[in-house]
Amino acid sequence: MVGMNQTSVPRWAWDETAPGAAPDPRGRTFTLLVLPGAAAVADRWAEAVAGRAVRRHEAADVPTAVAALHADLATARVGHRVLVAGTARECLAVRAAGVRAGLADDEMTFGVVSTADRAVWCVHCDATTVAPVAIDDVVACTGCARSLLVYPHVSRRTGEHLGFMVDAEQPGTAAEQPGTAGVAA
Amino acid sequence: MTLAPTADPTAATTAPDLVAGFPFPFPNETYRYSTNVEPARGVVTTPAGQWGAAVVDVDSAYGDELAERAAILERDPSRHAVLPHMDVACWDAMLCLMRELALSRPDAFGLEVLDGGPRPSYRWRNDLLGIDHTFVLGDPATLPAPPLRWITAQVQEDVVLLDERDGTLYGDAGVVTFAADWSFGFDVGMTFLEIHGPVPRIHAEGVITRAHEFIKRLQPGETYRRTNWTLTIGRRLDVSTELYPEWGPDRETVQVVDDETFGRLVHLRTEVQHLIRLPESGAVMFLIRSYLLPFDELVRVEPWRVRAADVIAELPEDMADYKGIAKYRHRAAAWLRAHGPTG
Amino acid sequence: MSARLDLVVTSVDDAVPGIRSVTLAAPDGAALPPYTPGSHLVVDVPVGGGRTRKAANAYSLTGESVHPTSYAISVLRCATTAEGGTGAGGSAWVHGLAVGDRLTATPPRSAFAPVHVATRHLLVGAGIGITPLLSHLRSHVRWGRDAELVYVFRDGHGAHVDELKELGGDRVTFLHDRAGLAEHLAVRLAEQPLGTHLYTCGPAGFMDAVVATATDLGWPASRVHLEPFGVAALDPGEPFTVGVAGRVLEVPSGTSLLEALEDGGLSVPNLCRQGVCGECRVEVAPGSGPVLHRDLYLDDATRASGSCLMACVSRALPAADGRAHLEVTL
Repeated sequence: MVGMNQTSVPRWAWDETAPGAAPDPRGRTFTLLVLPGAAAVADRWAEAVAGRAVRRHEAADVPTAVAALHADLATARVGHRVLVAGTARECLAVRAAGVRAGLADDEMTFGVVSTADRAVWCVHCDATTVAPVAIDDVVACTGCARSLLVYPHVSRRTGEHLGFMVDAEQPGTAAEQPGTAGVAA
Repeated sequence: MTLAPTADPTAATTAPDLVAGFPFPFPNETYRYSTNVEPARGVVTTPAGQWGAAVVDVDSAYGDELAERAAILERDPSRHAVLPHMDVACWDAMLCLMRELALSRPDAFGLEVLDGGPRPSYRWRNDLLGIDHTFVLGDPATLPAPPLRWITAQVQEDVVLLDERDGTLYGDAGVVTFAADWSFGFDVGMTFLEIHGPVPRIHAEGVITRAHEFIKRLQPGETYRRTNWTLTIGRRLDVSTELYPEWGPDRETVQVVDDETFGRLVHLRTEVQHLIRLPESGAVMFLIRSYLLPFDELVRVEPWRVRAADVIAELPEDMADYKGIAKYRHRAAAWLRAHGPTG
Repeated sequence: MSARLDLVVTSVDDAVPGIRSVTLAAPDGAALPPYTPGSHLVVDVPVGGGRTRKAANAYSLTGESVHPTSYAISVLRCATTAEGGTGAGGSAWVHGLAVGDRLTATPPRSAFAPVHVATRHLLVGAGIGITPLLSHLRSHVRWGRDAELVYVFRDGHGAHVDELKELGGDRVTFLHDRAGLAEHLAVRLAEQPLGTHLYTCGPAGFMDAVVATATDLGWPASRVHLEPFGVAALDPGEPFTVGVAGRVLEVPSGTSLLEALEDGGLSVPNLCRQGVCGECRVEVAPGSGPVLHRDLYLDDATRASGSCLMACVSRALPAADGRAHLEVTL
């Protein structure tokens, strides 16, 4: 087993006992993205940065949060910080949008209310499966039906876990048998 | 040289130069992870010949391997990824690879500076592929393809470009068609430490953080290399995670094939990796060249047979597991021991 | 990593008072290694002319970096200790060079490179600290990047002023006084679009002021970059003792640990002798007192662990009993 602290999965995305993050007090302006069920975290943060210019967005889902983020970043100046409160899956997805928009790690703060759900990207068929699944467990791919191992490896650019076929080495389970030519002499 | 179609993974013969130039990866009787870097270009003499003089190595598989890379990129464009800020690094990498090709094979490659100054122009000649082309640094309209894509169609090496910022290296561009059990398309954009996150042992032993510190200290013009190895079934360069359902079953079936087939299918795979700090962008170019030698060829070199058997038999189980050879490595070691000159 | 280039002085230019621009080339005129914008040479300064020790001084490269056939540096003459200043004499030596003189230097080293994820580059330099920023500006112009440069200098004492103007046009602002700078910076640092990175080089007090203004306006550390070679000479420090290989050596004030080890006949790999390059790292052994690090190389975690130090700049701090002593292993 791999020590999780060395992986690409941020601690807040797998350890619910991780200490809660606080907004960077040096920030001049803030975007506060609040996903469903995370209002308590957001309220705490709002209090911590009271008096500063804070744009708070209640977002029903990740696309809504990302749209609000992009709108704010379009006019933001250096000194801006982004605070995201939601589930680990939502935070990873919004972090990916932030990274792609050029935000640095020290400009984003995440407050995680649950680590139950994960987005798993199938390296074989390119589909993404969202499910309540733990790291190192198996989930059925919604694209190709293969059983995917949820690897302790998360993309900065998509926020998704790497998923690969868990039983590819067992005879008769590979979806593409013709590709194994060369072994049967 | 002619461009042959994709190599037949069952092909039984190995060209003489591929044996003579094979970078045998076991200097010691046992293998553990280490930051085993050394200055590049040092020639290593082996019982079969030598390797190591060139940073970019051109051998008799040039045509085959380039055709295979082109077919893979056609099928799966995610093997080529360049994040937007890596454009300068790609130009840098292209020029560096051209210079290295010209250095190793001046008979076949040449890079001429036509005009210096802030916007230099060049003439590039690749006689093996019939290319004679003039271009201007930084002007994509003067190239037939994006710079990294164009040059990786002319070298057998896979390329990853690492951007350094805030004391951290990021794998932000590359063309990787011959990955050994990883997904470049997934890893692009990760830090060097994150890319290696799932590898057992290397963190506890500090290998990866030492490697990270070492790479960060590389200055332009400094070039280092290291080797890595695994076993691959069939002459299969593309053992990417993407294609795991295709090649994964081989790890089961190889356990039950007859001895002759086993020796033909199981290959020692050596990666010769070069690290080069690029001057203009400050990016680090990581080259990965994969060499495959089937066991039935390897045993013809007696010291290689004995050493490979020892290392493969002794390897700790977690390392064998990560390399994906746990299921058949004991048969592999036994096979090597049984195929000595008197066996 | 301590290979040297043999170079010959091909021109000197003293047009700006106190500043000498020197052009160096290979003796046979061959092409020189290309380099990353913002790089420096570490030039070997020989003994002589009042200098009792060899020195190695870092000077930023100001010319074209892609296909150089010459290297250009600009050096401010610092008053030496003999003249009542703090300079060790390296800059005075450069000011005494003549066309045809030979010298040795490291190949270019990069410690202040432009950050490629930046969508915009704000360059803020003072005095001779303009040199690495000129190199940055050249590369930004070459690659069509968005850049803005602010240069503050005493009127009539600006280096490379015409060159900067020609390269940067209206993206370059020249200022001549501290008050004007503070006012200008407060505005410019508040208005940078997210995605901008800030680079500053100049006297330590100047860089501190730039960083303080940026921090007040919320700039995160990852967007702010300093050229460490602009830092003024470190203070001579208090005397201490060092235990090494079964011996105890004295390290007087004004002598570095590295120099003391060398004077004791012990050899330590080294290069910049300014706490930047990391070459002279030595292990701290059990029984050592606390370390005053002062280097710009080790990260905070390593420094806190107390396991190593940079012999060129680090010194002993007095322990609770008042004794200042280090134990090291080479």
